[in-house]
Amino acid sequence: MTTFIFRNHTVEPFFGYDGMTCSGYGDISLVPQEVDRYIWFYQVSVNVDAAQRAQEVESWRDQLDYVLAHANPNKPFIIFSMVDLFPVRLTGSEHAVADAVAAFNSHVLQLAEANPQVKWVDFSEFTSRYAAEDLVNWKYYHMSQTLLNTRLARDFQAWWRLVETGLALQRKKCLVLDLDNTLWGGVLGEDGVDGIKLGGDYPGNAYQLWQRALLQLSRNGVILTVCSKNNENDVLEAWQNNPAMVLKREHFSAMRINWDDKATNIQRLADELNIGLDSMVFLDDNPAERELVRQALPQVEVPDFPDKPYQLMPFYRQLVERYFRIYAVTDEDRAKTEQYRANALRNSEQSRFVDLDSYLYSLDICIDIKPADDHNIPRIAQMTQKTNQFNLTTRRYGEDDVRQIVAQGWPVFCMNVSDRFGDSGITGTIFLEPLADDVVRIDSLLLSCRILGKGIEEAFLKTVLNLLRLDGIRKVYADYLPTPKNSQTADFYDRMGMTCVATQADGAKRYELALNHVFDIKNCYNIRVL
Amino acid sequence: MNLEEKVLEIMREVFDQQEVNTDVSQKNCDRWDSLRHLSLASELEEAFDIELEPEEIAEMTDFQRVVSMLQSKL
Repeated sequence: MTTFIFRNHTVEPFFGYDGMTCSGYGDISLVPQEVDRYIWFYQVSVNVDAAQRAQEVESWRDQLDYVLAHANPNKPFIIFSMVDLFPVRLTGSEHAVADAVAAFNSHVLQLAEANPQVKWVDFSEFTSRYAAEDLVNWKYYHMSQTLLNTRLARDFQAWWRLVETGLALQRKKCLVLDLDNTLWGGVLGEDGVDGIKLGGDYPGNAYQLWQRALLQLSRNGVILTVCSKNNENDVLEAWQNNPAMVLKREHFSAMRINWDDKATNIQRLADELNIGLDSMVFLDDNPAERELVRQALPQVEVPDFPDKPYQLMPFYRQLVERYFRIYAVTDEDRAKTEQYRANALRNSEQSRFVDLDSYLYSLDICIDIKPADDHNIPRIAQMTQKTNQFNLTTRRYGEDDVRQIVAQGWPVFCMNVSDRFGDSGITGTIFLEPLADDVVRIDSLLLSCRILGKGIEEAFLKTVLNLLRLDGIRKVYADYLPTPKNSQTADFYDRMGMTCVATQADGAKRYELALNHVFDIKNCYNIRVL
Repeated sequence: MNLEEKVLEIMREVFDQQEVNTDVSQKNCDRWDSLRHLSLASELEEAFDIELEPEEIAEMTDFQRVVSMLQSKL
């Protein structure tokens, strides 16, 4: 099983490493086809400008649509709802981010209803268990761009396993219900029609609410049936005469109230309703009955039943989540869809995009290229120490090394990248070693993984090559030195049109390029050379 | 269980690898990458009920350094 995760923060501690491949941060340039499933896990990013955050969330809606349109249509596409893990409201009435998040989540629901490939996961189901201050661990956020607290990793994995099981399960159609101590407290045959616990004080009130919950399932299309060892006349009387009874005769599509074994009765119910055993869920407070049905009819789902009546509501939620979450489109949903369509049309001019280039264009990416100086050398050195993935040679330099290299006359450039959602800072560098008056060798070239997936590496290198050509350089040498982490750059120079002149046994490659023309650079970047 | 054994146990879990011994370091263990390094720090903080500063986390590059860091905290 291979999973591809689209994400904008570090998610590996939560989803694990085996069988998982992650996109770059906020990177939609690659939509692999040979995967078993996709996951979309974006959370509102850290930024103190509420308007920018809201706009960014809006743009993800379009990015999600783009990715979904290009994903393998035969593979499940699991979308996590978005949660603002760290809302900061400067004014009490600030609601732009909350609105954008709500609009995104409602859009995801529409996708799930319209497209059977899409599964929707309510991430707030997980986050709502924790206090707001426990959701983000700022130390680890600043060290690794992990927004959700890594301390929650284990809990998340347990929750996610349950959700996954739920997603894999087929939706169920029919609930088979025992009566005594399942739909009410006590035993009808012993306590009598008015002696059973239903309504009034605890535990009767808990059973009554539980019945209302089951009625809600019935109204949404779940078939309710009864399978109970009882005297049928007692039950009919209770339904008719107990005023606290919510679920009555008319709510049950079929029933087997007799003293036969329950496996046989469930089989008969399935035959009568003409549904498969694998679409039935059996609820009974008696563990012996549950075990019998599990053994005799393994296709029937038999969840454990709560011991205490006050556990019935969480149990109800679990039933809904595991078996009965309803995807059918209602009239109300249709009205919402219409409304949404109108909104989408309104927004279309400013935000829709059809291909990657127009998406890049919409980002207003600014690339500022600067020579190394006293201010940026510490950051340049730090990048050579830390960057692993997009790093052609992985040569590590300290600040003093960089100062020395610059003093020797090597051209060293760095790049600052920003877009309409914020400034990523200095996120790329290139070191050029002069070999002769008109020849240089690219000693180091690297970009931080934060900005990958937007073609910036190409724009950066081509701009630098154009600068070198203006300076009279006519030939460029370059190397690719493989490491366990930098395989994504293995063919970067090939893609830039360089000629590979030597390949070593370990995969290291040497390239040459004659600088005899100006490189074209896509016009979706605002590039400034400072 | 003594401290060293407990650390080894946590490392085995974080690195998802049985062969972890007291010679392990970021250099000789592929699975001890930068992300798992932070998972390791987070797990150690929880297991020993301590707080590690980013600078301290950065220094814990092999088993012995992890152990001496923990000893200085306990």
